[in-house]
Amino acid sequence: MIVESQARRMTRTLAAYMVVALFVFPLYFWATTAFKNAKDIFNTPPTVWVFEPTLRNFEEVFGISLGFFRQQEVLPGGGNFFMAPRLWDSIVVALGSTLLSVIVATLAGYSLSRMDFRFRHLFVGWVLSTRMMPPVAVAIPMFFIYKDIGLLDTYTGIILIHAVMNLPLAVLLLKSFFDDIPRDIDECAMIDGASRWIIFRRIVLPMARGGVAATAVLCFIFSWTEFIFVLTLTQTGLKTVPVVSSSFVTSTGTAWGNMAALGVAATAPAFLFILLVQKQLVRGLTLGSLKE
Amino acid sequence: MTLSSQGIKRILTGDSALPWLAPLLAMLVVFTIYPLIYNIWLSFHEYAPFRRRLEPVGTDNWQALFSDERFWDSLSVTFTYFGVVLIIQVVLGMAIALLLDSEQKGFGVLRALLTLTLVIPPAITGMMFLLIEDPEFGVLTWLLESLGILDGTQPILATGSTALMGVMLADIWQWTPFMVLIFLAGLRSLPPEPYEAAMLDGASSWQTFRRITLPLMGKVIAVAVLIRGIDLFRIFDYMFVMTSGGPGTSTYTLSLYAWQQTFSFIKWGYGATISLVSLILILVIANLFIWVARVRW
Repeated sequence: MIVESQARRMTRTLAAYMVVALFVFPLYFWATTAFKNAKDIFNTPPTVWVFEPTLRNFEEVFGISLGFFRQQEVLPGGGNFFMAPRLWDSIVVALGSTLLSVIVATLAGYSLSRMDFRFRHLFVGWVLSTRMMPPVAVAIPMFFIYKDIGLLDTYTGIILIHAVMNLPLAVLLLKSFFDDIPRDIDECAMIDGASRWIIFRRIVLPMARGGVAATAVLCFIFSWTEFIFVLTLTQTGLKTVPVVSSSFVTSTGTAWGNMAALGVAATAPAFLFILLVQKQLVRGLTLGSLKE
Repeated sequence: MTLSSQGIKRILTGDSALPWLAPLLAMLVVFTIYPLIYNIWLSFHEYAPFRRRLEPVGTDNWQALFSDERFWDSLSVTFTYFGVVLIIQVVLGMAIALLLDSEQKGFGVLRALLTLTLVIPPAITGMMFLLIEDPEFGVLTWLLESLGILDGTQPILATGSTALMGVMLADIWQWTPFMVLIFLAGLRSLPPEPYEAAMLDGASSWQTFRRITLPLMGKVIAVAVLIRGIDLFRIFDYMFVMTSGGPGTSTYTLSLYAWQQTFSFIKWGYGATISLVSLILILVIANLFIWVARVRW
């Protein structure tokens, strides 16, 4: 575009690296905390670069060698740090709700992209409006409704509410991916005698593979990181990682090392996922409204 | 009752949109419309602890809002948080996007690194900043004290005047990259012609930005502001783990206040009423914005 001078280029590079370093620093600090001893965590001034690495925090949280025998151990101060089951809860909830939202949203997204019917714009507006509802205004009544029908503290209950939470995103995003595929393809196939279902199943869905995958990744991440619904709608039966992180705050102090170990183990897979969908990320974050 | 695959085929063969939308409709009605109606019903009732049941109280809960100072405090905290964080994220996001908008080697990696903050559960981000801002061994506290900005007697998150800023910092760190990525995508799709013309006319880079980039980026900025604004208005996670609303009411947002009224103080009806206020405000503001800024889906 515009040719930059050598000096300007250098300044820009330097500034860019510094800004990104500033954003990466808290991640670095958190990740290293997971490998630190209490001595290094509770040091003033804080230990940033040089410390004695340890795997103790991970072992206490996931019990790779000991956990099988000490699952319910309660540590001094009242905390139970064995978190492997919580990781499992998170995985079940995120996978289940992602599957449900993606299935429901592909059907809806296809019809919103291809079929004309009255009030279509109003319908899309309504779907978008559900994305605006404050979670607390859904969580409060849902608590009482779930209590009455026995869905409190169950996988089914959390999977359903997470799926609904992700539906507006999934529907609007998939609609935008289907919009990218020319309608002519549908019409040609229809002239050849194919039904809507066959067109959807055999032609359009395979063409939108990448979009479906990107949608699934985003649904997974939003379910994985969700806080208020799990906080409100579970008691003891299941807890996902974000909610359980506060249990490291005990009466004898906060177990920062263990908390960081859980945080690292719980975000590392999400990092990999998001790197896979870099290309569709902006479209996803804007609910399909902006294309890169 | 089982639907054979033949049956599904027959239903989906026709050109009616209804069967395609039915699962979505069912889920949205059961999980958004019904709770909404239940919530409205709840706001006209209150839990009576001695009789252990909900009793109708008429419009008491709605009237109580007007004289409840903590409610007005939480309203003002919500708007302050929303406004300040949104402005900082837009300005900072634009600045960083302009900085990173280059074909230079290595910048792709920088952009990828910025996406990493988006996948961390906000509750865990809150914990991260709790440690970073810890009064005794937090990195930020230590840094600010060695710079002479803090004097060591005021813990960031336990002092009324700085607690909200401490929480905002976590939000700004986590979601400024969201703005950067969206703005970057916008900048990269701008047509080159106006810039060539501006260069021929000898426009300064500020003029070019002000007269060409900003107007062309209007839609992109509007979408980013809408989506981020919605999330900022209903913010809950950071305050819940970092300060629980304190000290005093300095970090109480509407969402947090509603939640605590319902689940900590067992005022089910009042909590529902506050959550409805937040719902109404967000729907009105967001839809007004969509209409004024002509955002289209």
